[in-house]
Amino acid sequence: MKKKVLATILTFAMVVTSLAGCGSSGNGGSTSAPATDTQQTATAQTQTTDNTAAAETPAAEPAAELTGIDAIIAEAEGMTMEELANKAIEESNGKTFYGVGNSSRGKSALPLFIEYLQTIDPNYSMEFEWQQPKNNKIFEQLTSDSLKSEGTFAMTLIQDGNQIQSKMVDTAILKTFIPKEWAEANGTTADAYTGFLPLQTLNKVFMYNNTGSATYNNCWDFVYDGAHPLFMGVDSEIVGKNFLMMLTEDKYATWLKEAYDALDDTKKAYFEPTIQAMQADAGDLGLGANGAYALAWIKLWVNNYNEQTDDGPICNTLVDASATDQAGLLVYSKLRSVEESASVSVNNINVAAYQDGYTGIGGYGYCHYLFLTKNSPLPWTACAFIAYMTCTEKGFEAWGKDMGGYSANPNVAAEIEATFQHSQGGGDEFPAKNDRGYDWWTTEGELVLEDPVYCSEVSFTVGSWIDVLDHYSPGE
Amino acid sequence: MQQVAKPDKGAIFRNKVKTWFSQPQNIILLLFGIVLTFSTVAPIVAIVKDTFAIHPGTIDQHLTKRATGYTIVNYTDLFTSKLAKTNLWNPLLNTVILSVLTCFISILFGGLFAFLVTRTDMKFKKYLSSIFIFPYIMPQWTLAVVWQHMFYSNKITGTSDGLLAAIFHVYFPHWWCQGVFPSAMVLGLHYAPFAYILIGGIFKNMDANLEEAATILDTPKWKIMFKVTLPMIKPAILSTILLVFGSAMGSYPVPHYLNLTTLSTKYISMNSKYTGEASILAIIMMIFGVLILGMNQLSLKSRKNYTTVTGKSGQLTKLSLGKAGKWIVGIIFIVITFFTSIWPILLFALETFLPNPGDYSFLYSGNLAHLTSKWWVTNENITENGMYGQPGILYNKTIWHAFFGTLFLAVVCALIAGTIGTLIGYAVAKKRRNKWANYVNNVAFLPYLMPSIAVGAAFFILFSNEHINLFNTYTLLIIAGVVKYIPFASRSSLNSMLQISNELEEAAVIMNTSWIKRMTRIIIPIQKSSIISGYLLPFMTCLRELSLFLLLCTQGFILSTTLDYFDEMGLYAFSSAINLILIVTILVFNTLVNKLTGASLDSGIGGK
Repeated sequence: MKKKVLATILTFAMVVTSLAGCGSSGNGGSTSAPATDTQQTATAQTQTTDNTAAAETPAAEPAAELTGIDAIIAEAEGMTMEELANKAIEESNGKTFYGVGNSSRGKSALPLFIEYLQTIDPNYSMEFEWQQPKNNKIFEQLTSDSLKSEGTFAMTLIQDGNQIQSKMVDTAILKTFIPKEWAEANGTTADAYTGFLPLQTLNKVFMYNNTGSATYNNCWDFVYDGAHPLFMGVDSEIVGKNFLMMLTEDKYATWLKEAYDALDDTKKAYFEPTIQAMQADAGDLGLGANGAYALAWIKLWVNNYNEQTDDGPICNTLVDASATDQAGLLVYSKLRSVEESASVSVNNINVAAYQDGYTGIGGYGYCHYLFLTKNSPLPWTACAFIAYMTCTEKGFEAWGKDMGGYSANPNVAAEIEATFQHSQGGGDEFPAKNDRGYDWWTTEGELVLEDPVYCSEVSFTVGSWIDVLDHYSPGE
Repeated sequence: MQQVAKPDKGAIFRNKVKTWFSQPQNIILLLFGIVLTFSTVAPIVAIVKDTFAIHPGTIDQHLTKRATGYTIVNYTDLFTSKLAKTNLWNPLLNTVILSVLTCFISILFGGLFAFLVTRTDMKFKKYLSSIFIFPYIMPQWTLAVVWQHMFYSNKITGTSDGLLAAIFHVYFPHWWCQGVFPSAMVLGLHYAPFAYILIGGIFKNMDANLEEAATILDTPKWKIMFKVTLPMIKPAILSTILLVFGSAMGSYPVPHYLNLTTLSTKYISMNSKYTGEASILAIIMMIFGVLILGMNQLSLKSRKNYTTVTGKSGQLTKLSLGKAGKWIVGIIFIVITFFTSIWPILLFALETFLPNPGDYSFLYSGNLAHLTSKWWVTNENITENGMYGQPGILYNKTIWHAFFGTLFLAVVCALIAGTIGTLIGYAVAKKRRNKWANYVNNVAFLPYLMPSIAVGAAFFILFSNEHINLFNTYTLLIIAGVVKYIPFASRSSLNSMLQISNELEEAAVIMNTSWIKRMTRIIIPIQKSSIISGYLLPFMTCLRELSLFLLLCTQGFILSTTLDYFDEMGLYAFSSAINLILIVTILVFNTLVNKLTGASLDSGIGGK
């Protein structure tokens, strides 16, 4: 009988063990997530904030009427970097800081931030954990964390303005903090600024393999007969869908119309029926005068792009000599990691917008935004860290050391460019790697910029329209 | 007049209870029945609830114009909208086709191999038996990546040329490169060792008396095969189907890499804007699991006649393939297994020395200077020269942290799931006609039949709320892993326990031998290889599980999510190195277990 009792106890113990688990939070894995495609390059020019003009509760309320995290943010927005640092030291000394983001480089920036705080107080110490969830899980993770009275995550670095607007900001899960120095550098104030706080803008640009005879002189060439550009796919990376939705905005639809006008008659004749067929849909969707051009381009793009799992494999493909005449839309900074070999070379590709005579959109830009969580356990430290990343060269260096991403603080962008010289990164040998900078891309380069408010508004009109389009499958 | 004493009802009841509890199998069934009911039903309830919930920023909010509350709009929209075909019916059809084809391929390939190893005089058995299980050791999508590297071409798939196109200018058709065929082939090859282990275990332990009797009666060999042998291994075939069907249905990475839209891939892609509808897809996958469970229930009822180990005799007669035949068949399988087991490993190893991912230019140029060791030995965080900001493999803390985390997870899951599963298998076999036993067996088995991605989603929803948030913790991964992998052990244990005649244990009971002693001296030694399989299968599966853990932790937390991340990013050198690390780890553990216990995954079949 004793054995039976023992058996009972053992089985019960095993079950309890299985349910109670053997470990709690595994920290290292999340603190050591690999690098992503979140590279950045400095730009010497001042960046305007219209690309981040997202609607949020204006921060104009007097601090006295605010409570909790809002009151802290309002107070922090009037503080200098050093004042914030002192608050952070007071708040988080000896504690653990949890951050979550789409970019793994927050993990690289945090130790530098701690070092900075230690220059003020040498005895300061802080543990940290930086998580980088897969797929779309960051939104669900932040949502579930927001249900607690005090959250786990102090702040987040997050992309996809559309979902941020509808899932995080409209629901008050995330809170925007505008650092004083950042506002000043952009010629505004925290009260006057109404958008999200961007850390950087990343660009995805059209490129094509030049080992064959195909030419892409116009953005419509990427959707011309027989073209199947490589692209991550609108379902696997939502910012790709945001790009398509943004094309229907008047400014970008007009760019498409102008590019269409520059086509020769043969190509115009090819596109004309599709554009005409889109007129009714453009009306139904409430688009502007050139909406049909945008819808036609989107339709042909979705019908024809060749979906890939990530920009990495797209880059690997395009720079290979065998990928004759292939094109793609991918993160520009991927070029930084190509190693020259017998069949692989950066010189096997052209950046479409850099080519003489190229007409039309050169790619699209999207931001990494910084937020505090509404129940941040370390709000002052989060504010200080955000200010550190957006207002100092050192804080932005984790991203700034690579080409293809642009600090939203013009002062930092200038410092980064002075240090890393991204505009001459490829020299004469690899001209494709000479990054022309944010201002060039958003003007001459015709970069389509993500607007969270617009994306959110058309998400279930234009977005749903995109959902029903047929997707291309190789071999069809 | 003497009064007849009234029976003391209380004493009778106490005696009945005492008698009931004196049987260990009753205690096991009661305890695990309750616990597994919670661990299985609670996630299902959570995900069903999610299908009715309104999620801010998604289609249900748009359609209901409300940000909170409950609605049936997710159901109406999924089944009746313009997107029904795209979001539901086509993926559903693809999923069913993929699952059926995968079962067919794995059973045909694995079953045939099991037969050849156990019932014929084929040569090279020991080597082949070891090598055959390699595809199961490797994460399933890595074979898909190998498939891409081999067969893709600029001409057909619109990418750069794979090896065969680049070197031999051979261009495989699209149906071969992408879609249901390669997905089913990859999954079929991946699960063939599963069929081999399950079917081979039965073949190996099968009593030859019935076949010998048929032979004496001059029955033709084909008739013996179809009328005697195959019916005897029917439980194993059925078990394989049950396990493989659910696994194939819930596989996310293989169809994702080979461009096939299934319910799993759709679940991921719909999750951001159609969250509630994605949960319905998970429910649909679960319904398939329940249906399969029903089939299992029917088969279990008819299994009373499959006792194959009686303690009486066990001499196997081996089919002769002929003097040349035994060599030819052996060599054929050496060639086949080279391409399914060795070639991928060679490619993985080679990949870690290529200058760029998939850049085999040293083969065309003949210049070995184009090979590099940078992926291994770079000891700094650089972004130039293709390192994408990663230190080399030997210095990459992400990889090594994930490795040790995974090892911990796999060991804990295997120990807990293996023990619970073995006990359940034993108890169910002892009480096979008892309804509660059947219930416990089913409720323990159900999570395995439910696709991994759906189980993962259910656990994520269950443990992400205002009271508890276990996302990205080993606790959550262990709970999910144990619940999911108990069937490996329970199935393996049940199959083997059903073969053991009750007479053996009854003899020991008559000798007043305790339960522990009966287990350790009689039951476990007889079916040691099956029971060890019940531990090794969860261990191996857990090491490279992705679909189940995909939604439960961040990339970099465990090896499979790290590996998938590198594969998605196109950093094949890192993912290949992780593959090599996994394979070596499993082989080391398999050898260690073999040395310590005399059993291994394939031992008892053809391993020795």
